[in-house]
Amino acid sequence: MSASDEEIHALVRQEAGDCLQRMESNLLALESGAGGSAEVDAILRDAHSVKGSSAMIGWQEPAALANAIEERMERARESGAVPSETIDPLLRAVDALGRAVNGEEGVAAPLVEELAGLAAEDGASRSDAPTKGGSPTKDAQETGSPSRPTAERAPTIRVDAAKVDRMLDAVGETALYHRRLEHALGETVHDGRQVSEELDAGERLLGELQESVVQMRTLPLSTITSPFPRAIRDLASAEGKQAELTITGADTQLDRTILDGISETIVHLLRNSVAHGIEPPAEREATGKPPAGRVDLRAHQRGGMVAIEVADDGRGVSAEVLARVGEGGSLVDLLAETGFSTAEELTEVAGRGVGLDAVKRSVESLGGGLEVQSEPGRGTEVTLLLPLTLALMRVLLFERGSQPFALPMTSVGRVVAVTDTTSLGNRPSIEIEGRVVALSHLGELVGGAAKLPERAPAIVVESLGRRLAVACDELLGEEEVVIKSLGAVLSGLPGYLGAAILGDGRIALVLDPNHLLKAPAEAAAMDRPEETSEQPAAQVLVVDDQFSARELQRSILEVAGYRVEVARDGREALRRIAEMPHLDLVLTDVQMPEMDGFELLEAIRADEERASLPVVIVTTLSDEASRKRGAEVGADAYVVKNEFDQEALLETIERLVGR
Amino acid sequence: MSGVHVRVRVAAEHYALPVEQVLEVADLGEITPVPGSPPQIAGVRNLRGQVIPLIALASMLGLAGDEPSRIVVAESAELRAGLIVDEVLDVVELPPASEQVESDYLLGAHLVDGELIGALDLGAVLLPIGSQRASA
Repeated sequence: MSASDEEIHALVRQEAGDCLQRMESNLLALESGAGGSAEVDAILRDAHSVKGSSAMIGWQEPAALANAIEERMERARESGAVPSETIDPLLRAVDALGRAVNGEEGVAAPLVEELAGLAAEDGASRSDAPTKGGSPTKDAQETGSPSRPTAERAPTIRVDAAKVDRMLDAVGETALYHRRLEHALGETVHDGRQVSEELDAGERLLGELQESVVQMRTLPLSTITSPFPRAIRDLASAEGKQAELTITGADTQLDRTILDGISETIVHLLRNSVAHGIEPPAEREATGKPPAGRVDLRAHQRGGMVAIEVADDGRGVSAEVLARVGEGGSLVDLLAETGFSTAEELTEVAGRGVGLDAVKRSVESLGGGLEVQSEPGRGTEVTLLLPLTLALMRVLLFERGSQPFALPMTSVGRVVAVTDTTSLGNRPSIEIEGRVVALSHLGELVGGAAKLPERAPAIVVESLGRRLAVACDELLGEEEVVIKSLGAVLSGLPGYLGAAILGDGRIALVLDPNHLLKAPAEAAAMDRPEETSEQPAAQVLVVDDQFSARELQRSILEVAGYRVEVARDGREALRRIAEMPHLDLVLTDVQMPEMDGFELLEAIRADEERASLPVVIVTTLSDEASRKRGAEVGADAYVVKNEFDQEALLETIERLVGR
Repeated sequence: MSGVHVRVRVAAEHYALPVEQVLEVADLGEITPVPGSPPQIAGVRNLRGQVIPLIALASMLGLAGDEPSRIVVAESAELRAGLIVDEVLDVVELPPASEQVESDYLLGAHLVDGELIGALDLGAVLLPIGSQRASA
């Protein structure tokens, strides 16, 4: 998003403006004799921060000039005096810096040179007292540029957020009346060319107005994330580790007030990931992980909240810690216990927890929540849940049962026409590019069982690696809308991200794709006998010699609510099976060292006690002979990896496990 | 409680809300149903650019034969919703709601000229739906 670059530049500019203003008044204080070493230090700090932020976004000229000012002040600090004749060039340098950060070119270089010259002279003739009487002051005032940076930087004001919200409501309503006016005039005015031009201009302005008001409240997460990848790499190498940061969802919009409060917390979590999560390369390789650790920073909307996840593939918490969680309480509470998190020894063992109490407090003070998931040896994921007060979102609008609904564009894969539906299990499905995708007619949500039109459009919703086709009556198109909360009374209702008021005044409910993808499974569970909810999650053993395949299947199954164990080959699998009396299903690859999948299957079928254990073969072997061999040795299902479809696999497993 | 109240009618019954908790009275408008919400939530409505939830008082109070025509926008402890009523009768000074009534949504009843007027407990009426389910 190029807009976010603009945002960053504006922020740097604004920040630099504050620094420059302080530098100027501190310089003036020094000149008047009222200032001392505190002012010198303050100028140093401000010059340093302008240098840093300019350099970060690649503004060479301002960075160089700020550096020159910094060097000059450094010298002043060492010598314990600011020669009065240097004040004037410094003031001019501050002015030039103000112009430079606002994009004026060529203003920095002459002053960099001048300040460098002063610095050279200074060593030889540092004579004067820090300040002298009236005449230099006068000089400075005469020669100083009339345009102080304060005149160039955008002034800021503080406004009550509720007032901005009211303004936004009013803008939306104005747009609505504008449309009504347009409609009314269209009927009465015949020679309406000029009228319609005026109306169009008004509409454009209203759009701009709406966007500016939203921007008063929100900024994308990317505003604060740009320095992170570099910082992580540096931090890791300082610790003798390798780590790479991947950021997704950086364009997620957050309330400014929340963004301000959350930056430090995210940095804290990222540091934790590198310092305590990611292992040194040798340790990682010994456990079969790539030498470079992975740190993910992900942001997305979840329900009416924004979730920001910091995940690493490091060592995770220790088994002892998890055992303590098992005794009661949650991992996050345990890790956030002050005593726990500050105990040096324990955090070493935990691999986590440093300052998590502070993180929890900070998130809760913003009205959010904190979740932590961790597994020994596999990594840790910390999720910050932040309230979403307001956001602009691109959505796909559609109609079902003559009511408009919206889905975030980020979750929409494609749109297909529903022609044939097949039935997989009890659920209707459609075939898309040879893959079976479950079809929902929004019945669970909308309730209305109104019949769908012929060749109804179906929106393929994708999120967290799952897919679902949602059929509707009609597509209304793509639009950028302001998402509003459904209000505190309805805040506990799952399934909605919020509501959007459309151009014609109607309300479109914005569906939460994550809930939609979860809902059919829940609905299906409700259809089954009641005892199912009492039963522990079904246990599945995944057998594959390939690490990535194993982990992929593990994650798919875990997301679907299964307990998963893994084995690397047939022989290890047999050992694991012997240890797991309550195993419900085996998912096995064919080609593996030691003992292959067919041999494993034969061994299972030969064991009297386990002969009926469901076994699904998942393999790249798609030839007839292999399929036949699979059937002969007693496979309950044969899934070819190339045709691999999560939904279909999960359906198959669900059917075989029989719950 | 005594004081100035807005008196409303739902089906054949009369109810009262303290005037300080009433923000405005509006037409029913276009109601957008919110699938998945409990029956007492009629939906949401666009009120001058704001999305506000609408509560079907009749359904909440278990009354039949109502003819919704107006909403009374009420607020309690930062929770706001439009209450759907058949008619807004008047704004009157009522004596304390001293009569006992068996209802989760009423604080009691005001007795005026031999007629009972239910004193709506807005804290209970406007309870966020998740917490309502827990207490049910």
